[in-house]
Amino acid sequence: MELEINKKLNRKKQKRNWKRWAIHLFPVPAIIVYGLFIVYPLLAALSYSFFDWNGMIRGDFVGFKNFVNLFTLEPFSGFFWNSFGHNIIYFVVQLVFQNAIAFFLAYLIYKKLKFGEFFKIALFLPRLLSVIVVGFLWKLILNPNFGALNVLLGKFGLENLQKAWLGDPDTALITIILVNCWFGIGFMLLIFLAGFQAIPKELLEAATLDGAKEFKMMKTIMLPLMIPSIMITTVLTFIQSFEAFELVYAMQGSQGEPYHSTDTLAVYFYRLAFGGSTGDSTAIGLGSALAVVLFIFISTFTALLLKFMQKKEVEM
Amino acid sequence: MKSLNKFWLAGLFALFALFLAACSSDAGSEEGEGSEGESAEESEGVTLTIGSWRTEDTERYQALIDAFNEKYPDINVEFKPSKNTEYNTILNTALKAGEGPDIIHLRPYAPGIQLADQGYLAPLDDINGLDVFPESSLAAAKGSDGKQYGVPLNISTTQMFYNKAIFEELGLEEPKTWDEFIALNETLKSEGYTPISLGTKEGWLLSLAHGIFGPAHYGANDFVEKIAAGETDFTSEEFLSSIKAMDELKKYFPENYEGLGMEDIRTLFFTETAAMFPMGSWEIEVLREMNPDLELGFFPMPSAVGKDATVTTWVDGSYGVNAKSEHVEEAKKFVEFMTTKEFGNLFTEKFKMISAIPGTESDDELVNNLGKAVESNPTPYMMLVHFSGGNPTTKVTLETELQGMYLGEQTPEGVTEALQENAATWFEPFQ
Repeated sequence: MELEINKKLNRKKQKRNWKRWAIHLFPVPAIIVYGLFIVYPLLAALSYSFFDWNGMIRGDFVGFKNFVNLFTLEPFSGFFWNSFGHNIIYFVVQLVFQNAIAFFLAYLIYKKLKFGEFFKIALFLPRLLSVIVVGFLWKLILNPNFGALNVLLGKFGLENLQKAWLGDPDTALITIILVNCWFGIGFMLLIFLAGFQAIPKELLEAATLDGAKEFKMMKTIMLPLMIPSIMITTVLTFIQSFEAFELVYAMQGSQGEPYHSTDTLAVYFYRLAFGGSTGDSTAIGLGSALAVVLFIFISTFTALLLKFMQKKEVEM
Repeated sequence: MKSLNKFWLAGLFALFALFLAACSSDAGSEEGEGSEGESAEESEGVTLTIGSWRTEDTERYQALIDAFNEKYPDINVEFKPSKNTEYNTILNTALKAGEGPDIIHLRPYAPGIQLADQGYLAPLDDINGLDVFPESSLAAAKGSDGKQYGVPLNISTTQMFYNKAIFEELGLEEPKTWDEFIALNETLKSEGYTPISLGTKEGWLLSLAHGIFGPAHYGANDFVEKIAAGETDFTSEEFLSSIKAMDELKKYFPENYEGLGMEDIRTLFFTETAAMFPMGSWEIEVLREMNPDLELGFFPMPSAVGKDATVTTWVDGSYGVNAKSEHVEEAKKFVEFMTTKEFGNLFTEKFKMISAIPGTESDDELVNNLGKAVESNPTPYMMLVHFSGGNPTTKVTLETELQGMYLGEQTPEGVTEALQENAATWFEPFQ
């Protein structure tokens, strides 16, 4: 009798053991995919960056030569700093024209603006298109001689504002970034809106009873509580700005034309590692070095940004 | 807790093993090299693939493949092109992994030769028929070791296309001297036409245009020979004058030319807003499709320094054989077929392009005339033939710097200095 019970218990235990094991199997597919498509290329790029490359043939181990060349050897270093500057402009302009406006619009919608729901959807719609489609669409709109924008300007008698928007180095970069803002504003708006809606109503009611005005309420209650949303959007914008590639590639090609005025680090990386679109030669070592630098830069600054924002949240 | 750690360790190990397996696939395909000796009997039902960037030519290639199959019914051939601007990346990645098509469309000169020098292509010196090609055509795919790695397919040319109807309306004639050419531009401009349909938004258009206008100023072939031997360089008076001429021509470009790309300038020309179009022979068919009523003509570019008018020409793409293909012998049969007169005639008929095989005639008058012009007054596309090396290449440097010049951020002197600086980093005669 006792034996029987023992057996039963054992079997139960075994079953439980198996279950415990099986649970660990579930993340395996995810880990394989992640490892294969994220970790492996990352490590491969790291290893590539330490070798000399002759076209696609790996040559000798050269230590940090590729990194040194990237920062000191012309024309590579010139391209690097030029692109880096453009990435910074990308980030700053997006903060102002995408996130700040999205924040304001989210506040208006939260405050039950008329047609708020309509605006929310309308602003989010561009996000449903592929970036490449957005790029081609705007390329058509911005075409200096056939495009809708210049035609419209002409219709309103603003001929002197007609320009080759994407062909002039003074306007090309900012135009592309503003298109990117148009594309991204809806997404940021949703994050901000969710943030506003998560603010406890009691707090606001109490403040109203205490006679707080709109601005004061914003500054002392809402803004501190919005810090997490602001943090998320800022970090996302930062990462996205320093990885900016698709839109530039779709609208200006892999040379960052005109005259490298729209080059970004990612476009420059593509050109270095895989060669330009017209059969330019490849520099896999330099390209890998650039990818590694970009990775280190983005991850370090993201970490710092998060840390800084977290501190802010506590202080407020 | 301990067992949990062990589990993850095992998982990581498995992952690592997977990587190793993935990496070693390179080694596996290398064994394929041994199959070169396969005899014809064994090749029954063999399928060859052709890689190319000419997606628009798929149907035309089928006609060539059908003709090949009349001779070799046992060898199936599949034409598998990829997008023009992505082709190099796709091909390079595949080759690096020990794969890629059996028959490879080679970019002309440096980029194609680079593949040969890196051992990705099988030498073709043992096939028949290579002797029909002039040495200048074979040079487009000759390895640094002196072996031949590609069979030339077609000759591309760039020249000035013009709208015959507009010329007739204004009583204009094909110019015989540079001054006549400039006078013609003035007339067209004063009559409200855009004289030259060129935009500067896409860099490659600029090196292409320089290939047409440049020889008229640096004095065509004599200069090319001298610079290729390192006896003169880009800062020379002759070359500088070619860049200055490019700068002066901008007053005949369309409005907002700095924002116009290939599609735009083609549109301006086929909608008959612009009278002339400095462009390559591959656009003939496209222009006719876009506007069947367009009366298309061309003229060789007249010289500004008292030499012959020139048509700029180069071999555009040769076909090579993948060294790691499992069917090298069969693939060689196909490229051998590409050296025959039969192939040349069929190619000219179907593609409306100039075959690399000398003496093939076309039933298309324009193509035929162009072919004759190429034989009588050719000049090489110098930037592509001699200066497509370096990183960035000297050709790309010219594109960027010319773009800068048109945007007012670079002087013609600055362009030539930047070119010389770039070429000095890799071009042996300058070192």
